[in-house]
Amino acid sequence: MLANFRDESLMTLSPNYKTFLFDTDFQSLFPEIFLITASIFLLVYGVVFSTSKEKNYPLLLTNVSWLSLLACVFTFLLLVNSPVQNALLCYNTLVIDDFTTFLKGLILVSTFFCVFMSLDYIKQESLNAFECILLILFSTSSMLFLVSSADFISMYLAIELQSLCFYVLAALKRNSEFSTEAGLKYFMLGAFSSGLLLFGCSLIYGFTGVTNFSELARIFTGGTQEFLTTTTSFPACELGMVFLLVGFLFKITAVPFHMWSPDVYEGAPTPITAFFLIVPKAALFGVFLRIFLESFYDFVLPWQKILIVSSICSMILGSIAALSQTRIKRLLAYSSIGHVGYLLAGFACGTIEGIQALLIYLFVYVFMNINMFAFILCGMRRENMQTVPRIKYITDLAFLAKTQPILALTFTITMFSMAGIPPLAGFYSKAYLFFAAMSSNLYVLAVIGVVCSVCSCFYYIRLVKIMYFEAPKNWCSFSRIPVENAVTLAITVFFIVFFMFYPTPLHLITHKIALTLCL
Amino acid sequence: MSLISTILFLPLVGVLILFFVPNWKTQLIRRIALNTSLLTFLMSLLLWIEFDSSTARFQFLETVAGSHFGETAGFSFSSLNFLFGVDGISLFFIILTTFLIPICILVSWTNIQAYVKEYCIAFLILESLMIAVFSVLDLLLFYVFFESVLIPMFVIIGVWGSRERKIRAAYQFFLYTLLGSVFMLLAILLIYFQTGTTDLEILYCSNFSETRQIFLWLAFFASFAVKVPMVPVHIWLPEAHVEAPTAGSVILAGILLKLGTYGFLRFSIPLFPFATFYFTPLIYTLSVIAIIYTSLTTLRQIDLKKIIAYSSVAHMNFVTLGLFSLNTQGIEGSLLLMLSHGLVSPALFLCIGILYDRHKTRLLRYYAGCGRTMPLFALLFVFFTMANISLPGTSSFIGEFLVLTGTYQNNSFVAMLAATGMVLGAAYALWLCNRLIYGVIKPHFINEWSDVTRREFWMLAPFVISIIWMGVYPEPFLDALHCSVSNLISHGM
Repeated sequence: MLANFRDESLMTLSPNYKTFLFDTDFQSLFPEIFLITASIFLLVYGVVFSTSKEKNYPLLLTNVSWLSLLACVFTFLLLVNSPVQNALLCYNTLVIDDFTTFLKGLILVSTFFCVFMSLDYIKQESLNAFECILLILFSTSSMLFLVSSADFISMYLAIELQSLCFYVLAALKRNSEFSTEAGLKYFMLGAFSSGLLLFGCSLIYGFTGVTNFSELARIFTGGTQEFLTTTTSFPACELGMVFLLVGFLFKITAVPFHMWSPDVYEGAPTPITAFFLIVPKAALFGVFLRIFLESFYDFVLPWQKILIVSSICSMILGSIAALSQTRIKRLLAYSSIGHVGYLLAGFACGTIEGIQALLIYLFVYVFMNINMFAFILCGMRRENMQTVPRIKYITDLAFLAKTQPILALTFTITMFSMAGIPPLAGFYSKAYLFFAAMSSNLYVLAVIGVVCSVCSCFYYIRLVKIMYFEAPKNWCSFSRIPVENAVTLAITVFFIVFFMFYPTPLHLITHKIALTLCL
Repeated sequence: MSLISTILFLPLVGVLILFFVPNWKTQLIRRIALNTSLLTFLMSLLLWIEFDSSTARFQFLETVAGSHFGETAGFSFSSLNFLFGVDGISLFFIILTTFLIPICILVSWTNIQAYVKEYCIAFLILESLMIAVFSVLDLLLFYVFFESVLIPMFVIIGVWGSRERKIRAAYQFFLYTLLGSVFMLLAILLIYFQTGTTDLEILYCSNFSETRQIFLWLAFFASFAVKVPMVPVHIWLPEAHVEAPTAGSVILAGILLKLGTYGFLRFSIPLFPFATFYFTPLIYTLSVIAIIYTSLTTLRQIDLKKIIAYSSVAHMNFVTLGLFSLNTQGIEGSLLLMLSHGLVSPALFLCIGILYDRHKTRLLRYYAGCGRTMPLFALLFVFFTMANISLPGTSSFIGEFLVLTGTYQNNSFVAMLAATGMVLGAAYALWLCNRLIYGVIKPHFINEWSDVTRREFWMLAPFVISIIWMGVYPEPFLDALHCSVSNLISHGM
């Protein structure tokens, strides 16, 4: 029965599919295979050379980082030129379509920038552990699998691989108490949320006997009424779904389950924070959109309610809690909670517009945050020498407009964009979201979202204010802007400012993707 | 390239050139900015010359960006109409904008020494955005430009403002305006959701249910009332005016206050005629309260700029009164009053700026007897003050007279209450004049005696000329307005 189903669905999905594993499955997994192979090569290379006595125990972090950047680029190229566009692979556990290609591209690009803009940080902080780059690569490849997983088992495995890499990354600085604490907290809560996730999966498996998304969809299709009358397992499945949802909200730091995120984001080294903040959101949203829109679409009422509540809470907390933060990474953590609220608002719509708005928001969010971190990761010089050469408190930004006017201008533009002021990219993404919310009659969500975005304006503008108008207690200036960060900043600011002139490509792509997901 | 897109992009070309000029060549930067804005002004005069006043249609229609590209389902910014056009209502606002920007650059010729390049860039971008606001024929794009004015304005107040309180002022300005206008965004999205378009000319032909009209009208009102400013939300204005640099005040009073009333006229009245009728008493009440209350408030201010700022609030509420009288006299009068206020109030702010440049204070108690030390200045100041209290023969008189006529036809009681504003206006303006120009000089405070310079004189002269011109011979303005206004009225009612 299973084999029949597979053949049938493959016929419809991919015209050039042949049923041989080695013919097509591996062909369509080229990007993942390449990335994993490259990471293993880099691992061997790093281990061999960093312990080689002839070479005088070289420090390989920068070298490995550059090579891993190259690996990201090649993976991206392989992904874009993949011979198979639509397929179900590996005995229905993985799926490839436009949606996964888009998100994988986004993940690879953001990983690339995360590593690229931390190159200077790595050098300055003498963070001599090349394994961290490898962990980033491994977690990236796990996220690639996560996006394309079509089965609870592959999904859970991918999430776990990703999370394990993250736990280690968070505790990377062994000599820093903050970092260790962050790693510990992340591990405890991450493991807990994975447990919830797993319990949800097992409940659903136990009451339906199926772990595959599309088969679940077949079981649940025809409306919950029919399912309710024919079986008695409906409440159990609903419970399983709620557990899944809670695990998911834990992972993306949505509000009732957000408590770990400010601590972890603050404690982890800044490049790792950037990575945590930017990259996994895309992957997690990808797979959960697939689950909830494909398999649980007929449970839409319960999950929509939960998502709406969570979205509203996230937006409110994100805009209010960030008001009282003094440390920049904490502030960004809360602001990202707010952004997750907006993303969830798109999710809660569950319509094509909602998905499209979510994807656009995700795209813009990634670029804005890359810009932010490219800025924060620049090295600083302090007047009366202190130990920390980085921006830590938001007051460290004081009078940046005097010392680095162009950098200050860049940062200002990003802040206005984050706050959603019109001609910038952030406004467009928010407007799409509000439109989606209104077109699915979620007026309350739209109104609260709008009010929260005004509240959050307050602290984004406060950063601008500090930078332009406040006299500093102790002067600090950026020692120099590293080339990599400058390039990243330039690209992202260009995107943010000029997005309004030609939003068509992104709009069309996301629309197509939303269609593939919903139809 | 048609005329309108030339006017839109010319300031941006100037910005582009300025990016490549080194920071220390301040004089060159100022010259480039001034020439660009003067050129834009000339082009906009061409717009007036070529304007065909016998039709109510939008003219010089121009699609700027690639529109109609994404013919896809769902909401899409790529299917937005980047359509620009001008009718009788927006024509003079564009000209007013291009008229004021060169003066803003001229006023800071000597007293802005820090960040000159950024200053010029901010003003040129602001100019381009404001022209776009007045000429765009798409509701959502109107919102986009309407809001994006905030960023340059925030920077102008915050960076070149005069005192420490400026940051608070910039904040207030920003948050008040933003909070008001996000509700307009929701309303626009709702309109799009219902009609499937944000193209203005199509929207003029569509109908909304009565309940929905009321909601939409209120959402638009939340945004425009802050900008006008109506009474409960006018607090940002005196703050922003007092803390802004002179040129910032000129733009605030000259153009930004007009955005709200322009929005009422362009969107609220023709799109939601039922709700407009429904809420006319609200507008009348708020306007009358604002006229009387702010005129009285003006009497007890001691900051020179605050006095002018509060008198701006009073005048703008005259404008809303006229707009909602919903007859030809009223609306044409309020349009003329907007234009006239756009000349008089900036001119007064320029005068205050001249005083501030010399004596570095704006507190009234330090000033007296300026007529002795600065005779030419005194002449100009008294002239503009007379224009401010709408002396017959100046432009404001025509506007206020028509507004009161229009309102009287509708509601004589309101007209009577509003007319007290004229008395009170005369009270505060003459009081100010008296304290400033006459009296015994206070040499402890004012010891630098210099009259207006040549640059300042030429800065103010165009205001004098146009105020008298509008006051004595308003025909050219009314001619161009008339068709559009009567079309608007016949359409809405």
